[in-house]
Amino acid sequence: MMENPVVELRSIVKIYGEHKVLKNVDFDLRAGEIHCLVGENGAGKSTLIKILAGAVIPESGEIIIQGKHVKALNPRLAIELGITTVYQDAELVDSLTVAENVFLGSEINSRLPFKINKRKQVEEARRIFGKLGIDLNPDEYVANLSTAQKQLLQIAKALHRSAKVIIMDEPTSSLGLEEARSLLNLLKMLKSQGLGIIYISHYLNEVFEIADRLTILKDGEKVGTFSSNDIDVNQVIKKMVGRDTALFFQRRPIQIKDVLLSVKGLTKKGVVENVSFDVRRGEIFGIGGLVGSGRTELVSLLYGAERPDKGEILLNNEKIEPKSPLEAMKKGICFVSEDRKRYGMFPGRNLVENLVIAKNKLSRGFLLSLNQEVTLSSEMVRRLSIAVADRDQLIEELSGGNQQKTIIGRWLLNSGAMLYIFDEPTKGVDIGAREQIYEIILQLAEQGKSIIMVSSDMPELLSMSDRIGVMRNGEMTHILDNRNVKEEDLMKLFIGV
Amino acid sequence: MVESKSSNNRVLSKGKKPIYRNQWFFLLLAEVVLAIITGSINPRFFGISNITNILEQIAVLGILASGMTMLIISGEIDISVGANIGLVSCVIAMMIKNNVSYLWIVVVALGLAAFNSVLVGSSSLIFKAPSFITSLGFLSVFRGTAYAITKGVFQTIYGKFEALGLTRIWNILPLGFLIGILIYFVSHFLLKYTKLGRHFYAVGSNPAAAYLSGISIFRTKLLAFLINGLLVGLASMILLSRVGAAQPTTGSGLELRAIGAVVIGGTPLSGGKGNILGTFFGVLLMGIISNTLNMLRVNPYFQEVVFGIFIVASLAVSAFSAYAGKGIFKKRIG
Repeated sequence: MMENPVVELRSIVKIYGEHKVLKNVDFDLRAGEIHCLVGENGAGKSTLIKILAGAVIPESGEIIIQGKHVKALNPRLAIELGITTVYQDAELVDSLTVAENVFLGSEINSRLPFKINKRKQVEEARRIFGKLGIDLNPDEYVANLSTAQKQLLQIAKALHRSAKVIIMDEPTSSLGLEEARSLLNLLKMLKSQGLGIIYISHYLNEVFEIADRLTILKDGEKVGTFSSNDIDVNQVIKKMVGRDTALFFQRRPIQIKDVLLSVKGLTKKGVVENVSFDVRRGEIFGIGGLVGSGRTELVSLLYGAERPDKGEILLNNEKIEPKSPLEAMKKGICFVSEDRKRYGMFPGRNLVENLVIAKNKLSRGFLLSLNQEVTLSSEMVRRLSIAVADRDQLIEELSGGNQQKTIIGRWLLNSGAMLYIFDEPTKGVDIGAREQIYEIILQLAEQGKSIIMVSSDMPELLSMSDRIGVMRNGEMTHILDNRNVKEEDLMKLFIGV
Repeated sequence: MVESKSSNNRVLSKGKKPIYRNQWFFLLLAEVVLAIITGSINPRFFGISNITNILEQIAVLGILASGMTMLIISGEIDISVGANIGLVSCVIAMMIKNNVSYLWIVVVALGLAAFNSVLVGSSSLIFKAPSFITSLGFLSVFRGTAYAITKGVFQTIYGKFEALGLTRIWNILPLGFLIGILIYFVSHFLLKYTKLGRHFYAVGSNPAAAYLSGISIFRTKLLAFLINGLLVGLASMILLSRVGAAQPTTGSGLELRAIGAVVIGGTPLSGGKGNILGTFFGVLLMGIISNTLNMLRVNPYFQEVVFGIFIVASLAVSAFSAYAGKGIFKKRIG
């Protein structure tokens, strides 16, 4: 049984900015096995398989494919070497038929040069589908296929290109029960034909159903590789989350007053289902859940960036229906988004302009007050100890932590605000800045503001929140009082075992 | 500003950017060098009449480039301004021929040009198509309309309406140039000291972040198109007044020169950055190059080639400064 691995990764290191996302990770895959990768959000699973797919280049480490060292892997070379990654949507051309997609790039020619033999392609596609037991019409346009069908098509395409390894990242997260079942059966069949399969999933019951071995990652480090017979679900969860208490921030208690925000039955079809909760003054309300569970979508409803289909939002006992971020801002709601590069920063503009933009928008008049801007920015730089050379320094020249503090400072200048929504407040931020951000959040709570904090970071959620709302598949399934809650319990609620 | 690190009331100091790091500094340098070379070959270059001539020629371009600067900073572009000028000057030339009062002419020039530019902008914003493409379409609409109403006939105004283009203060400074300078100041003020100007930078730099900061992207960009249109209207009147005649092709090619001047002035096409000072020196450089080519008796057909190359070169400058912004050439600080 101990045959040579088809794919082997040795001491892989990957660094993004100042963040080490993979620390000396080893991984191997044998032919004819399903090897599952499990870990929390941000543990480094996706980065690891992207390295194997050639989409991400590691800082150091060895990649060995079928016994050969590969120096510079790129997506094309990976496919040529027989490694195919099945993405949820990409990789297929919607405006071509199923058969045309299968043979894209390796078309079957007829006797006339440059003329594709469509009939032969359809027959050949039908033969491949038959062998796999897939029910797909080769003449259908890909645009008309469901997500599940697209995944099946990608697998068929990979096999046609004689793939040896198939990588699937969260393939069942957008599938129904039936579809997921048939996908898992297909994977088992492919395994018995000698293919190696790397499978990433948050759904541990699925993992235990199909895995031969599983590798657990935590904070970019490999916890271990286990045969699925030697370990059970509870042990896996424990290993996914267990941490030193040193990683936990010790916060002080803050007096909680009356209810400020009250959300009732908030619904946006397909993403947020019937969510109800209250947030009180002085309270930090944490929202946790897996990626894609509807956390960000929920808070964008509160901020007016999206409109709900149903439900109501009461702020200070007054019903509000924010139709745009501006309306939400005027009602006293602030929103620090999860992706500061895409939704927060104004690159090419200096620190001052990045700080005062929201305050300016809320103030009256047509003219700017440049002197006041400088005074306010200087105060904010001091208060948040933002490391900046001078006021003309561009925001993209600051470090990640200082960028994040600048974006938070933008909303602190909006002094009339009552509700602060933080979506992943410390993502990509180093430890020092992280504690400063926690301190800012606590000070806001002490001033009687309400805080909603969405986070994928378990220690953050557990150490900062007064209560934690758990999101799963768009629903808020539980609201926990954060007393003696353990990481494992929380993880179980996220996954739903 | 008092520099004392221990003081608790320390105000953030201004950045110490050496003068040679500014784009306009290089342009000024290029202009001086060019002027010295041309002047030493042909001393008439420094003659008052020639300098006046240059100022007169760059007035229209400067006004257009100011509007274009604000559009490009907002992340948009309008390549139909040349055709817009053609249409507007044909319409007002026909009105002048029919002795319509000057008040109406001013209203129609500004109104029509603004309407056209807003049409370009709103079609781009509503259909979510790049304004480069919608303005390319409208370029054809405007020029076609101009051909249709004039039936392709040259519209001469026989010395009427010439005050705007031909008045010279103290016989030296062309009125058009002074208006151009005024427009530079107004544009600079708008960009630097008003919320609207700040919003132009914000929507050009990161529209998603601007939206989440409460700024209406649609309104802001449409206002940029509106201002651009008003300036096109003003430029049309000055041009017609100076030339004394209009035809559908009047103004064609000016859009490229304006964009070239803006880009070489340090405003990248990617938006969110740039200033009027750079545009001023960019326009001046255009004027001097054009004049130099005339002075050195370069074949006018070849002049077109030079301007084309110049615009491509300015785009290369834009590309490199965009890289610089992404930190490939620039070191991280802090």
